[in-house]
Amino acid sequence: MEPLRPGRMSAPGITEPTEAITRAKAGDAEAWGQLYHDYAPAIFRFCRRALPTREDAEDATMEVFMKLRGKLNQYDSTRSFTAWLYKVAANHCWDTLRRRKSRQDKETGDLENVPLEHPDPSQLERLIEQRSSEEVRKALAKLGARARMALVMRYYSDMSYDEIADALGVRRAFVGVVLLRARHELRQALEGSSALAAGGAS
Amino acid sequence: MSKTPEEQTKHLDEMTCLLYIERQLDRARGLEVSAHTQDCADCRTLLRALERESRLLTRAMLEEDEPLPSRLAQFQERARNSMQWIWGLVFGLAATGLYALYTGYVQPWQQQLEQAGFGGSNLLGLLIFQGAFWKGWQSMITLLEVLAMLTLAGIAVAFFRRRIRRGSALALMFAGFCAVLTLPTAALASETRKGESARVSSEETIKGDIFLFGDRVKVDGTVEGDVFLFGHDATVNGHVEGDVIGFAQTLQVDGKVDGNIRAFTNTLTIRGTVAKNVLTFDERVNLEAAGKIGGSLTVFVENLNLEGSLGRDLLVFGKHVTISGKVGRGIREKGAGLTITSSGEVGGPIHYEGDTPAEVSPSAKLASPVEFKKLEHKRDYRQGKYYVWQVIWAAAFVLFGLVLMSLMPKFSQDAVKSSEEYGASAGLGVLVLCGVPIAAVIACVTVVGLFIGLSALFVWYGSLYFAQVIVGALVGQWLMGRTSQLWPLIGRMAVGVVIVRLCTTIPVIGGWVKLGVIIWGLGAISIALYRRFQPVIVPGGTPGSFTQPLPPNTTVGGVQPA
Repeated sequence: MEPLRPGRMSAPGITEPTEAITRAKAGDAEAWGQLYHDYAPAIFRFCRRALPTREDAEDATMEVFMKLRGKLNQYDSTRSFTAWLYKVAANHCWDTLRRRKSRQDKETGDLENVPLEHPDPSQLERLIEQRSSEEVRKALAKLGARARMALVMRYYSDMSYDEIADALGVRRAFVGVVLLRARHELRQALEGSSALAAGGAS
Repeated sequence: MSKTPEEQTKHLDEMTCLLYIERQLDRARGLEVSAHTQDCADCRTLLRALERESRLLTRAMLEEDEPLPSRLAQFQERARNSMQWIWGLVFGLAATGLYALYTGYVQPWQQQLEQAGFGGSNLLGLLIFQGAFWKGWQSMITLLEVLAMLTLAGIAVAFFRRRIRRGSALALMFAGFCAVLTLPTAALASETRKGESARVSSEETIKGDIFLFGDRVKVDGTVEGDVFLFGHDATVNGHVEGDVIGFAQTLQVDGKVDGNIRAFTNTLTIRGTVAKNVLTFDERVNLEAAGKIGGSLTVFVENLNLEGSLGRDLLVFGKHVTISGKVGRGIREKGAGLTITSSGEVGGPIHYEGDTPAEVSPSAKLASPVEFKKLEHKRDYRQGKYYVWQVIWAAAFVLFGLVLMSLMPKFSQDAVKSSEEYGASAGLGVLVLCGVPIAAVIACVTVVGLFIGLSALFVWYGSLYFAQVIVGALVGQWLMGRTSQLWPLIGRMAVGVVIVRLCTTIPVIGGWVKLGVIIWGLGAISIALYRRFQPVIVPGGTPGSFTQPLPPNTTVGGVQPA
């Protein structure tokens, strides 16, 4: 089976592994193995982007699947399996990060102030054009836990604002603020200057 | 690019632009933005830049820059292929091998030994302590100790790994091991000497602690800290101001020890003075006439010969105990025989549980007569009382299970579920059954871990009973079907426990059944315990929350503002 594209697995045209899930629910180890085989790479990459180290991501992937094994009976097969899987993974990763208290305090205080700046668009375009994927990944790794988590949930696993709000424990109205601030932080990390992120990631 | 303040107020803010491209604005506001961008090139550029940024982010995150780690791939293999039958086969073969070994070699040996006059000896004791069967037992014990310590260390790493970062966990483990080695030394420095013959000569004074490793280990001088002896023959002739901790074939204390002695030896002989207590595991212990212990003596031994003076109590788990000297307080013994000679003197009560009554010389000076209780070795299947007790025991187990399952419903259910992983449970069960007590005993001997060692032993002992409850619950489930609810599970446990107890009372094989049940259950508890240490994730939300107000549009598509 071709590796599934994470974040788009729930898109129309991609079939849900209904049969494998039913069999796995009934305790079929082979079906469980198939689910793991199909989804572990995507979940590993999700965890790899969200958590600080590779080891953390490996641990988290295993833990997510172990948790899933116990929770599979709770899964409602009329819903998207992928979305459910990502939700569990996001909750797990965020819980891990929160336990470590690695979130900076500033992240909680800023949400009320909606950034209303209008950055220089051409400068922003230039910055984006010049950067490679690898540079973006390196910059992502430098972000605060919540900023990184928000970007991963939105741009990797295609989670909705509601789901992100739910996972991060913020009001839905602030998800946009979290994402915009995360982008500012990212630009700052990419650029090293605060010109484009002025007023944003302070 | 410079703008006038008027121009700037006309432009859309970045937040609005982001919400627009993410399709999070309501329809009216969306149309406003769309209309604005028709005329404003600056805002169009900003929208385009934000979308490019979204695409760049998605691309960067989706790229498969790292292959799936091998650890996860192996996990996958484990998930795909159930290896239970292989484990079962391995254990089956191992059990067959052990049985063959026992019937082919051990039993004939035992018979020969009995014919040669060794009848009545505990075979295991004979093998381990006397090396009659194989001289390499000492090495085996050492190997087991190392394995047990490694197991404990592994469990500790697994535990801490879930709590803190990996690097920190390893650092903590190393620090812990270093602490174990250095803790008794407190602030004092320690010295290590190795070699064929490691010694502290008579004119030397060691300021801190000393570790001596060698075939012959000798302390003739003065040590102001503790002495750690590892060797074949160890002798303390000098003066030790701290404790003596020894692992040796023979340990002889002729000098003066101001602290305690904790030893694991074959033969321990004390001719000198020990100011505090002695805790020791040996084949033979001699407290000679000149020897003096100020505190108490706790000893796991085959033969104890006490001719010297003991300040306080004597606690013995052993075979033959001979008292010819003075015991300041009471004696508590569980063993085969107790002899108190005419020169014996005991200042407190004597509780003795053994095979034969104590032999006490009429001229021995005792504070009170010996309280003797005969050790029951064999069950009397013919007596009705035996069956009454079995029923009481079964009821007690059910009650015990009921209490534990009510107190820890989730954990009990997890343990029952883990017991279905037969291979892993059995393997881990053997390891825990053997490893934990050995590690606990080592912890007790090495001063620092006395509390940890005793706690571990206590928990381990309790788990032996809990294991039977867990297996009982599983057997009940086999008969009455699975359940995920607590009370039906307790009902199944009660039925299962009665069946398991019945099986364990079958003559001859009952003991083996019990051992198997304990190993199995102990493994299941260990697995459940291990899993319990995994971090708990925030509950995965209800499926209803997946409804999205608007489809995400993170990779462009949808409305193009310009």
